[in-house]
Amino acid sequence: MELFANLATGFDVALSPSAMLYCLIGVTLGTFIGVLPGIGPLAAIGVLLPITFHAPQTEAIIMLAGIYYGTMYGGSTVAILLNLPGTAASAVVAIDGHQMAKQGRAGPALVMTTLSSFFGGCVAIIVVAGFAPPLAQFALRFQSPEYFSLMIMGLLAAAVLVQGPFLKGIAMVLLGLLIGTVGQETISGLPRFTFDTLYLYDGLSFVVVVIGLFGLAEVLRNLALGADREKVDTRVGWRELIPTKRDMKDSFMPTARGTGIGAFLGILPGAGPAIASFVAYALEKRVSKNRRNFGRGAIEGIAAPEGANNAAAQTSFIPTLSLGIPGDAIMAIMLGALMIHGLTPGPQIIQNNPEFFWGLIASFWIGNLFLLLLNLPFVGLWIKILSIPYSILFPAILSFIAIGIYSLYREPMDIFMVTGIGLVGYLFIKLRCEAAPLLLGLILSPLLEENLRRSMLVSRGDPMIFVERPISLIFLILTVTGVGLVLLGSWRASRTPQTEEGSAK
Amino acid sequence: MTIRILSGAALAAAMLAAAPAAADFPDHEITMVVPFGAGGSTDIVGRIAAQALSERLDVPVVVENRGGAGGTVGTQAAAGMAADGYSITVATTSTHVVGPLTNASVRYDPVEDFAHIGMIAETPYVLVVNPELGVSDVSELIAMLEEAPGDLNFGSAGQGSTTHLAGLMFLSATGTEMEHIPYGSNAEATTALMGNEVQVLFGSMPAVLAQIQAGSIEALAVGTTARSPELPDVPTMQEAGVAGYRASLWLGLAAPAGTPDDVIASLADALADSVADADVAAQLASNGADAMAMTPEEFRTLIAEELVTYGEIVAGMD
Repeated sequence: MELFANLATGFDVALSPSAMLYCLIGVTLGTFIGVLPGIGPLAAIGVLLPITFHAPQTEAIIMLAGIYYGTMYGGSTVAILLNLPGTAASAVVAIDGHQMAKQGRAGPALVMTTLSSFFGGCVAIIVVAGFAPPLAQFALRFQSPEYFSLMIMGLLAAAVLVQGPFLKGIAMVLLGLLIGTVGQETISGLPRFTFDTLYLYDGLSFVVVVIGLFGLAEVLRNLALGADREKVDTRVGWRELIPTKRDMKDSFMPTARGTGIGAFLGILPGAGPAIASFVAYALEKRVSKNRRNFGRGAIEGIAAPEGANNAAAQTSFIPTLSLGIPGDAIMAIMLGALMIHGLTPGPQIIQNNPEFFWGLIASFWIGNLFLLLLNLPFVGLWIKILSIPYSILFPAILSFIAIGIYSLYREPMDIFMVTGIGLVGYLFIKLRCEAAPLLLGLILSPLLEENLRRSMLVSRGDPMIFVERPISLIFLILTVTGVGLVLLGSWRASRTPQTEEGSAK
Repeated sequence: MTIRILSGAALAAAMLAAAPAAADFPDHEITMVVPFGAGGSTDIVGRIAAQALSERLDVPVVVENRGGAGGTVGTQAAAGMAADGYSITVATTSTHVVGPLTNASVRYDPVEDFAHIGMIAETPYVLVVNPELGVSDVSELIAMLEEAPGDLNFGSAGQGSTTHLAGLMFLSATGTEMEHIPYGSNAEATTALMGNEVQVLFGSMPAVLAQIQAGSIEALAVGTTARSPELPDVPTMQEAGVAGYRASLWLGLAAPAGTPDDVIASLADALADSVADADVAAQLASNGADAMAMTPEEFRTLIAEELVTYGEIVAGMD
C-alpha cells in the first residue's frame, strides 16, 4: 500500500499546473526536435539543458525527462517515415517500420509505435515505482564478468538479426566490432587507429556512424534511383491510419515480451538500454509465427523494440536516481542537471526528496500520456511529409543532418566523417550488406573487450570466473542453448529429406 | 631566430591592436569553453564560475561545451582562439597536466600556449573503500596491503587518468601493492567499488560524495592538504600518515597565449572576487568542490610544478 501512497504523493506534484506545463513543453519540444534527422536524445538534451537551469528544480527535471522520451518518440517517427534513424533503437525500428511505410502502411506503423511505447513506458513506471531500491542493488551484482557474458549473448542477437546471407551478416558484425576498437583503449590507455589525431581519440562517434550508414546512405540511394524512386501512396484515409484488429493482436505479445526485456536490461548501467531494442527484435524474430516477414514490414518488428526501448528508457532512471550513478551519457547529463539544481542523487534521494522522486515518477506517466495524445493526432500530419516532393525533401534532410551533427560536439570534422560514412553506407546497400548488424557490433565491441580484460585482471588470469559466477553462468547457458537451437534449426532444414539417417548418428 | 622575432613582432602587434579595447574590456559577451560534456562536474563548476563572472563583468559569459579525449580536444581548440579575452577556457588537472603527459596527440603546451587567469576550485581525491573490507583508517589499510601484497584491487577512471595517478602516488608513497583495474569513467569505477569488484578507489569528490554520505562506501582520507568542508571528519592523507601525498583535481581558467596583460588582470580580479563570494563557495561546495583563489602567476607555477611531479609518476608507469 506504501506504493500507492507514494504514487499519490507523486501525482500531487506532477499534476500541479506548473509541472504539467513543463512536462508538456518537454515532450512537445522533444518530439519536434526528435523528428529532425540527426538530432537524437543526447543532442537534444545537451542543447536544451541550459534552458532548464532557469526552471524550478522539480519542473526542470520533469522537463528534461519529457525531452528525453519525446525525442525518442520523434526519432522513431522519422526512422519509420524516411529511414533516418538517429539512435541504435530507432535503427532497429526502421528495419520493419520503413518497409511498412513503403507499403503505404505508415499510419499503422506510427500508431503502433506510439501504443507499444506507451505500454512499455507504463509497465516500466510501475517497476520503477515499486522496486527501484532493490533493483538498484541487484544491478550492482552485475560486474565485469556478468557484463561480458551478457555481451556474448548480445553477439548471438547479432547473428539472429542478419536477414540475408549469413556470412555477409557475420562479416558486418565483425566489421562493427573492428570499428569499435578505434580510439583510446581503456585498459592500456593506448590509442588505436587514431592516426595521431585527437579527433579519433574517443572512437568514431556513434551518432555519426548511424546517421551516415542509415540516413545519408538512404538519401543517396533515393537520389540514385531518380525517377524510379518508390512512390509511396500517401492519400490514405483515416481508417487506414489505424492499425487493424489483426495488427493489434499480432503486436500484443511482442510488445509485452519487448517490454520485459527492456525493463530488465534498462536497469543495467551502460549496456542495457543500447542493446535492449536489438535483443527484443532478435528474440521476436526467433519466436514469432510471422518470422518470415521480418525485414519486410512485420508489425511485430516494430512493437517489440519500441516496447523494449521505452521500458529501458524508464528503468534506466533506477541506477541514476537510486545509486547516483549514470548509466549512459544522457543519464550523466540528467545527473548533472540534478546537481545544478541542488539535488544530490544517491541512495538518500527517495528519503530526502520524496516529492521530487515520486513527482518525477508520476510525471513519467503523464509525459507518456501527453505523448500518446500528441502523437496520435499528428500521425496524419507526419505522413504528409511523405507527400513532399523528394527534390525539396532531400536538401532539407541534408541540412538538418549537417546542423544536427554539428550541434552535437561543434566539430566540423564530424560533417566530413558523416559524408564519408554515408558513401560507405551506400556501397553497403549496393552490395546488399545490412548495416544493422554492424551497428550492434559497434555497440558491443568496447563492452566485450573491456569487460573481458577487466574480468581477467580481477581473476588474475583465470577464465573460470565466467562460469563460477551464477549470473554470468546463466547468460552463457542461455547463449549456448540459443546457438544450439539456431544450429539445430539449420541442420534440420538441410537434412529434412534424410532425417532418420541423421538421428541414428 | 627569424621565427622568434616574427612571432614576437606578431605578439607585439596583437597587443598594440588590443590595447585600446582593453580599456573598456569587456564590452560584449565572453565565450567560456568547457572542454567536457554538459552536466559533468567540470561543466557544473564552469557554469557556476561563468554566472559569477558575468555578474561581475556585466556581460554574458556563454558556456560552450567541447568535450572529447579527456578534455584535450576542447583545450586544443581554445588554445587557437582569438587572444582578446573574449575566449577563455576551463583548465583542469586533466587538460593542463595529465592529458599533455599521457596523450601523445596533444599539440598544445599547457604552460606556453596559455595566459593563465586563476583558480576556481579544487576537488579532492578521496581514498574510499568498500565497507566489507573491514578497515576503518589508512594505517589498517596499509597493514592489510603489507600482509597480502597485490591481493586487493583498486579502480580508476582509465589507464593514465587522474584517478589512476592518484592511486599510483599512494602506492609509491606507502611502498604497497594493489592490482589496478581501469574503468571507462568515474561512475563505472564507483559502481565497481560498490559491487566489490574493486576494494579501493581514489575517487573524485563529486563522483563519490553522495555514496559516502549514504554509507555505501567508506572514506578513509582526502588527498588535499586541508580537510574538505564536505567531509570534516575525514583526515587528510598527510594526517593519516602518508607524508607528502597531495592529489586533487583543480579547475581554473585560462585564455590563449597573447591575451593582453591588462585584460587578463581584469578577468583575474573578477575571478578572485567570485571565488571569495560566500554564495559562490556554497554552490561549489554542494557539488563537491572547494573554492580556491590563485593569481595568474601562482596558477602558471602550479601547472609547471605538477607537470614535473605527475611526469615522474607517468614515467614510472608500465
